[in-house]
Amino acid sequence: MSILLPRKPPRRQVLRGLLGGGVVSVGLPLLDCFLNDNGTALAATGSPLPVRFGTWYWGMGHTPYNAVAPKAQSGHGIVFLEETKALKPFEDQLNFFSGFGMPLDGRSNYTHFTGWVGNRTGTVPQKQGEIVSPTLDLLVADEIGNRTPFKTIDASSAGLAQENYSARNTESRAEAIISPVELYTRIFGADFVDPNANEFSPDPNIMLEKSVLSAFMEAHQRFISTLGAADRDRMDEYFTSIRQIENRLALQLQKPEPNEACLVPTKPSAPSSKKLTRVREMPNVIETHEVMAQLMAMAVACNQTHVFNLVFTDNFANVRRVGESYTHHLLTHMELIDSELGYQPLAFWFNERCSEAFATYLETLSSIREGDGTLLDNCLIFAASETNYAKLHTIDSIPVYLAGKAGGRMKTGMHIVGGGDPITRVGYTAMQIMGVPLRRWGTKSLQTSRPITEIMI
Amino acid sequence: MPRTPSLRSRLFYLVLFFCTCLVSPFQSYAQKPVDGTLGFVVRDWFTAIYNSRFVDECPEGLAVSNDEIWWRGLSKEDRARLTDNGLRSNLNRYPTAMRRGPNGENVCLNPTVVTDPPMNVVEGRYSYGVNLDGDIDGSATTKNCAHENFTHPDGTPGIDNQMYRLIGCVYGWRKGGLPELIAHERRGTSGLGMILIEVTGVEDARNDDNITVTFYRSIDQFALDGSGRPLPFSSYNIDMDGDGARYGDSLKGAIRNGVLTTVRGDVSLPFYGNYNFMHPVIKDMDLRLEIATEGTTADGLITGYYNVDRFLYYVGGMVGHTSAADSCPAMYRAAHELADGYPDPETGRCTHLSTAFEVSAYAAFIIHPKNNTRQTAR
Amino acid sequence: MRAVFALLLSFVLLVGCEQPEPPTDGSTPAMRRLSNEQYRNVITDVFGPHITVAGQADSLLRTEGLLALGAQTARITPSGFEKFYSMARSIAQQVVNEQNRSGQFQCEPASITEPDDSCAKQFFSDVGRLLYRRPPTTDELAIPVTAANDSAVSNGNFYAGIALGLAGMLTSPQFLFVIDTTEPDALGLSKWQLTSHAKAARLSFLLWNTTPNKMLLDAAEAGELDTQEGVDAHVDRMMASHRLEAGVRAFFTDFFRFEEFDTLEKDSIIYPAFSAQVIDDSKEQLLLTVLDLLMERKEDYRNLFTTKKTFLTGPLARVYRVPTSRPTGNAWEPYEFSQSDPRAGVLMQVGFAALASHPGRSSPTLRGMAIREAFLCQHIPSPPGDVDFSQFEDPESPDATAKDRLEAHSIEPACAGCHKIMDPIGLGLEQLDGSAQFRTTENETVIDASGELDGIPFEDGAGLGRVMSQNPATTACLANRLTEYALGRPLGAGDRNYMEYLEQKFADTGYRFPDLLRRIATSRALYAVSEPANNAGPLQGAATSATTLAIAESQP
Repeated sequence: MSILLPRKPPRRQVLRGLLGGGVVSVGLPLLDCFLNDNGTALAATGSPLPVRFGTWYWGMGHTPYNAVAPKAQSGHGIVFLEETKALKPFEDQLNFFSGFGMPLDGRSNYTHFTGWVGNRTGTVPQKQGEIVSPTLDLLVADEIGNRTPFKTIDASSAGLAQENYSARNTESRAEAIISPVELYTRIFGADFVDPNANEFSPDPNIMLEKSVLSAFMEAHQRFISTLGAADRDRMDEYFTSIRQIENRLALQLQKPEPNEACLVPTKPSAPSSKKLTRVREMPNVIETHEVMAQLMAMAVACNQTHVFNLVFTDNFANVRRVGESYTHHLLTHMELIDSELGYQPLAFWFNERCSEAFATYLETLSSIREGDGTLLDNCLIFAASETNYAKLHTIDSIPVYLAGKAGGRMKTGMHIVGGGDPITRVGYTAMQIMGVPLRRWGTKSLQTSRPITEIMI
Repeated sequence: MPRTPSLRSRLFYLVLFFCTCLVSPFQSYAQKPVDGTLGFVVRDWFTAIYNSRFVDECPEGLAVSNDEIWWRGLSKEDRARLTDNGLRSNLNRYPTAMRRGPNGENVCLNPTVVTDPPMNVVEGRYSYGVNLDGDIDGSATTKNCAHENFTHPDGTPGIDNQMYRLIGCVYGWRKGGLPELIAHERRGTSGLGMILIEVTGVEDARNDDNITVTFYRSIDQFALDGSGRPLPFSSYNIDMDGDGARYGDSLKGAIRNGVLTTVRGDVSLPFYGNYNFMHPVIKDMDLRLEIATEGTTADGLITGYYNVDRFLYYVGGMVGHTSAADSCPAMYRAAHELADGYPDPETGRCTHLSTAFEVSAYAAFIIHPKNNTRQTAR
Repeated sequence: MRAVFALLLSFVLLVGCEQPEPPTDGSTPAMRRLSNEQYRNVITDVFGPHITVAGQADSLLRTEGLLALGAQTARITPSGFEKFYSMARSIAQQVVNEQNRSGQFQCEPASITEPDDSCAKQFFSDVGRLLYRRPPTTDELAIPVTAANDSAVSNGNFYAGIALGLAGMLTSPQFLFVIDTTEPDALGLSKWQLTSHAKAARLSFLLWNTTPNKMLLDAAEAGELDTQEGVDAHVDRMMASHRLEAGVRAFFTDFFRFEEFDTLEKDSIIYPAFSAQVIDDSKEQLLLTVLDLLMERKEDYRNLFTTKKTFLTGPLARVYRVPTSRPTGNAWEPYEFSQSDPRAGVLMQVGFAALASHPGRSSPTLRGMAIREAFLCQHIPSPPGDVDFSQFEDPESPDATAKDRLEAHSIEPACAGCHKIMDPIGLGLEQLDGSAQFRTTENETVIDASGELDGIPFEDGAGLGRVMSQNPATTACLANRLTEYALGRPLGAGDRNYMEYLEQKFADTGYRFPDLLRRIATSRALYAVSEPANNAGPLQGAATSATTLAIAESQP
């Protein structure tokens, strides 16, 4: 490279000239994160509110014939039975999907694993623990997650950080935040920029920090180019992860749009040491979930993220009640079916709590006013379990909900019956609504390119 | 199809739920003697008080409290003067009520400076306890003063329990009364006044004709579980005094079908309650302990003769006479009148009250420290 | 005559000589992410114990039986990087603050409000060598030095710039990943081998679970690790150090699957004695037992499964229901279970038996599976998806003990295949309930704790321990796992001869763990590499000059 060729001044040099504390935008090329989809207008007051995407997870599915009444064909109206009655008030804010299949193409059904992996990634595993494609929330985040400090936020009230159902592949699975205090600190801690603060001036220390980070990133990129293929792939992901920090720093330098829906919550108190050994007792799970739902909702309302994942109970439902020697999971296998009720009463109790928790989540999201509607109106929430009838590990007709109005892009109040179609149609539809430009999704018999148009506007 | 569970199946599942809760504890952890020793730490210590449903044992009513005696003796003006015109709370009246001696003496520390009306004592038929003096007519003997006997609720005649007679009509000492409850709570968390029972020479934990029971004080606190109950099989170091144990009185005994009994003897015990440290020597004391089959817990009775002055010293030093609702001067007189054991050789008046204490204990390891590095201060 | 003598001598020498170490295929050069424990150890070693590491990184994934193997495929997600970044910033700020900085710098800037490139360079050079486990290149030094310069120029704060540069280094791949660099094998035994620096790293993480210190780096740079004598000397030195304990603990923490303790919960009503303190103490109890038996008393590894000697705290003593003279607090006391006590071996300790159980009950299946996978290195396939559980609930005859309940597993063909190799082992521990407390009955039925392991029967938990100690897979598994842990890769067909050699030596030395560790640490297999690394060392080539130019241009 000849030194006589004109060279663009490196970013560092430009910033140095401004570090006396001044105007931000001069001389800096606009980063992608400041632009909307079309790459034209800057985000400004009066533009449409962003549509956000969330996922919600619960373990052990539904009790058949006692959760949502089956339907002969798709149509308006969801009949919530005993187990899901807590969701009835939200009927017109969600859609329910049943009767979709999970064809395995000869692969094993890895209990409590295949169900969620197939549903969220479109490819069932060939061996235990295998995830080969990214989950749908990450595909959505790749589209809409670049304009916020966090690409995704992942939390779990089940206290198991590694049981998070958002992954790029087997080795790349974000750990969920399991402590409400940590969730608060992550979102609203030292790096939080209050959009409604009266004054804003870009912090010169942040400018310097960003400049240093960028310099390191250039060096890392050179280093990565020297690596072998396998390691390069891993390091590319590492590099993308650093970009997220660079992104966040860039956002901290820009005055955020005021947002009346954003109210910084109070910091939750730390749990007692006693509670720390009883994380998976149901009352504690429910309480943690409530706090996390509120924090998550406010994180979204404050535009700290557009993609958010919350786990209520994990895929092996390691939750229990004090004094009871069986966890929810064990109950689904070991408990007798009551001959009169036709189901397992103790396991049913847990399933009921899951529906109640989902209702709490929807309640929390819809209690935040945004624009002329609620936050939930501007969200699309994908809620699913990993099985239908846990006792038999069935993966046909895994129950899925899509909640919210997606900023007006989704019709609600429908019960869609799959007729054996691959369950990936639901996730694919969700991604279509969120604007992910995929012509088809999934592999083998799970591959689909047919969105469920009945719920699309 | 939506189905509402019937009452019968709801009940069934309620039972099943509780049964599954109880399933695990139905496991045997039979306490085996370790080197021929069984150990227990006493948690519950309550004076055995018989309460009938309609307070029939107190025909004159409950004993009149110190505060009431004081209040009755005040003129209207004095009442106003001493209570900030009626605004001072009961708790804050208590110190004044205590100092009603003619020269402002505390009547609990000086119980003879005033003469209160006679105390209402128990006049009922029944009491817990045992036949301590061997007779059933309550007549005087060389070792005992004349007194009325009770009948045990299970029908056994000749029960000697003058302590119950004395305090059985005092509001605070009846079941659920505060002095003993508060003392019980405090002992649970403070590590004070903890009694250890060591049973040695045990070959068979359920049946053994020749064992020795020794009483110690613990210097280690209770190890509690999440609900505040002591954990069984915890270890407790005994309180040493120089090279020997500070307590350590023994009684010979036997275990039959899991019930431990001892012969009678004089035993010194640690005691703490209501901010008072006591070292009562219970004369002619015996212990009866029913050990649960898995050996984790034991319940029983300690009976014997309790020194009157020592007891009055305890009551006098108590804080909380308002909640006990007793009167020290009245109790002082009644206690000396009711005493039925160990007459003073000079005055002939008895110096001890027959008594019974209900105790509960948890299995424990009693540790004899190898080097004497740990002692309590009192 | 002399010729005959010479021949005889060589013959004797040959026969009496040590069997030479067989060659292996060598490892593929890899990049292994630091574990949380290693990260903390490195920070402590480089900056001192008073620098606190706030928070922790994502956990590694257990891969093919070891967390250490998960390191070489570990990726860093956005939230994962965020954690590293946050930790790095916090560490860097502590390092440069007023109390700490004098201890961290060999130089002082001429003025703290002015740039001082030479002091910055010295600092980053010293620290960088320890963090990157080799001297940083000019290119690598330039970035943090420039940062310090920029900060001093614009903010009037030299140290704030140092902090930014240091944070950047602490989040660089050269720090977060232990990177295998290679060179041709000078001795020609295999084609490629690790460079001295990479050897130092491998040795240091194996034996001390931390970054190579100055002494080891100096030795590497002086070529001392290029000879067998040199390697032997440093291994002996490092194994004689008290720091060896950290390395042994790290291995057994991985071997015993201690990360499962992080999410262990027991029902507080069913097992009131099982507190959070018990969870922490039971982990430490296992480690203390192992360290005492294997390292202190240098006993046969197999004795771990039969030993009566252990260590207890007050909370643990309450779970084991044995006396202790220190019932309160958590002071450790050596304890030996009496001959009449049914407990023996690590399998009957809380740290194993309670870990491999449900929150409210025991589990012969979980225990059998844990024994197979952790101690015998045998893999159990996943359960089938289409199990019919209706036969496990029979209201007519409630199954009193676990043995009764699991009988159906052994009859039903779909289940028997796997359960046959798990349940009979775990049933031997049924006298230990879900919290590892001893019991003789369940549901008022006497527990039958007999079982079998690979056809060898036993009567109870202690018997299981004895059978385990005699099973050849037990010692082979330890040797295999330790080797994989050291090499950072799963073993393959090409390692078979080496493993046979190693296992034989292990047996010859009476299954002594320190000898096995030393043999692996001094073996050529540890450094053998099958191909050159694509990243043939520090940054080279045109990139360097361009960067140097940029720096030159940016100088005022």
